Amino acid sequence: MTKNIFLKELETYEKNKQRLLKDSRGKFVLIKGEEIINVFDTYSDAVKVGIDKFGNTPFLVKQILEVDQPQNFTSNLIRVDIPCLP
Amino acid sequence: MPSVTINSSDLEKEGPILEVQFLISSDLEKKYIEEKKAIPEPITVKSLIDTGASACVIKKEIPEALGLKPTGVTKINTPSSKDHECYHYFMRMLIPSHGLIYEGPFISAPLEGQEISSLIGRDVLKNGILIYIGYMNQFTFSLF
Repeated sequence: MTKNIFLKELETYEKNKQRLLKDSRGKFVLIKGEEIINVFDTYSDAVKVGIDKFGNTPFLVKQILEVDQPQNFTSNLIRVDIPCLP
Repeated sequence: MPSVTINSSDLEKEGPILEVQFLISSDLEKKYIEEKKAIPEPITVKSLIDTGASACVIKKEIPEALGLKPTGVTKINTPSSKDHECYHYFMRMLIPSHGLIYEGPFISAPLEGQEISSLIGRDVLKNGILIYIGYMNQFTFSLF
């Protein structure tokens, strides 16, 4: 399986998930490595700060939810025989 | 409210397809200007308005060509797969001739066929209007 470049950020999210859910359910958290940068009302606001602080480098913006909601596609236009992650 | 009306030769067969441009986000563009970095040229592709897609999708070659790094990862479900992991990228999509601009996350995934390089999903449609007039082979797309 291809390695997800956000493994560290996702681990940081999981470690802090209960606190984030308690304080900021539904909002968007910006995480870089092991650091939670801040929580924002919108995805765009989180990306704006991410770009300002880190430029064009990978950073994780994630909605704070009890259970992550996958995106749904009713057509077969997306090829699932090829991995999405490079 | 900017809008675009397209007359298709065969709307039933092709679906509502638009020619759009993809660029880096406006915030990243500002940062590049401050840092005196070259701004990548816009990429023009065909995009299908897909009411069956809950989110926008782009072929992975587009963010690669713009030199972008992902801003997250998400799982997708299709009729033949579940919880397929894909990166998403924050990008700007525009139809310059009609002043339509959308900035937001796009899921990077391989798409079937050569023609379509992007899907415009319901995350964009929630900010707009889509009028599909089948018997006239015409559709209109507007964005707030």
